[in-house]
Amino acid sequence: MSVQVLSPVTGLAAPISEVPDPVFSQAMVGPGVAVKPEGGAARAVAPVAGTLSTLHPHAFVVTTDDGGRAVLVHLGIDTVKLEGAGFTLHVAKGDRVRAGQEIVTWNPSEVEQQGYSSVCPVVALEVGRQALSDVTDDAGVSAGDPLFTVDS
Amino acid sequence: MAEDKAAAILAALGGQDNIVEIEPCITRLRCELQDGAKVDEAALKTAGAHGVMRQGTVVQVVVGPEADTIAEDIEELL
Repeated sequence: MSVQVLSPVTGLAAPISEVPDPVFSQAMVGPGVAVKPEGGAARAVAPVAGTLSTLHPHAFVVTTDDGGRAVLVHLGIDTVKLEGAGFTLHVAKGDRVRAGQEIVTWNPSEVEQQGYSSVCPVVALEVGRQALSDVTDDAGVSAGDPLFTVDS
Repeated sequence: MAEDKAAAILAALGGQDNIVEIEPCITRLRCELQDGAKVDEAALKTAGAHGVMRQGTVVQVVVGPEADTIAEDIEELL
C-alpha cells in the first residue's frame, strides 16, 4: 500500500536539496520535498491521515494508522528558536487527524522578517529515496494538493 | 535498550560534565557543550546518529523522530 502525501501549505514546491539545513537537504532523516510558502497569514494542514505523534508549534509529525509511515512537516528553518511565537496550534499531540486537516496557523512573512527561512520541508521519515514517487518539486501547490507518494 | 542508546550518546558527547543543555527538536538533539572538541563523532554514529553537525560548542546530533524520547532519557541520566 502506498500513501499519498499532501502539501501542508500553499506555495511553490521545490527540491528538498534547496533547503538551507543539511539535515533536510541531505535527507538525513528521510527524503521529501520542500514547499516555499506564499506570504501572509496561512494555515498548515496534515499531509496524511493518522495520529499526531509529535507536535511542536513549528513542526509536527503525523504517523499513519498502520504505523507504517511517518511524515514530518517543519515550518521554516531553525524556527524552534521562535519558541512558538506566531504559531497557533489547532490540535493536540496524540490527536487523530484527517489528511488536509488544519494543524497550525502561522505567518511565513513574519518568520522571514525575523531572519529565518520560511521554507517547509515535508519529509517521509526513515525511508529510502526510492520510496518516493509522483514527486512534485517544481510547481505551485495549494495546501492539500498532492506532493508525493510514499511506498510502504 | 533506549536507555542504552541515551547513555551511549551521552558518553560520546563527552559525558554529563560536558553538557550545558540538550534540547530535542523533532529529529535532532541540539546540544550545547562545555567543550565541543570532546565529541566523538564515530561513537555517535555507532550509537545510531544519522549525522552530526558541529559549530563550536553547539553540536547537533541527528537521531531521527525519536529525538524527544532520547532527550528525555538523557535528561534522566544527568
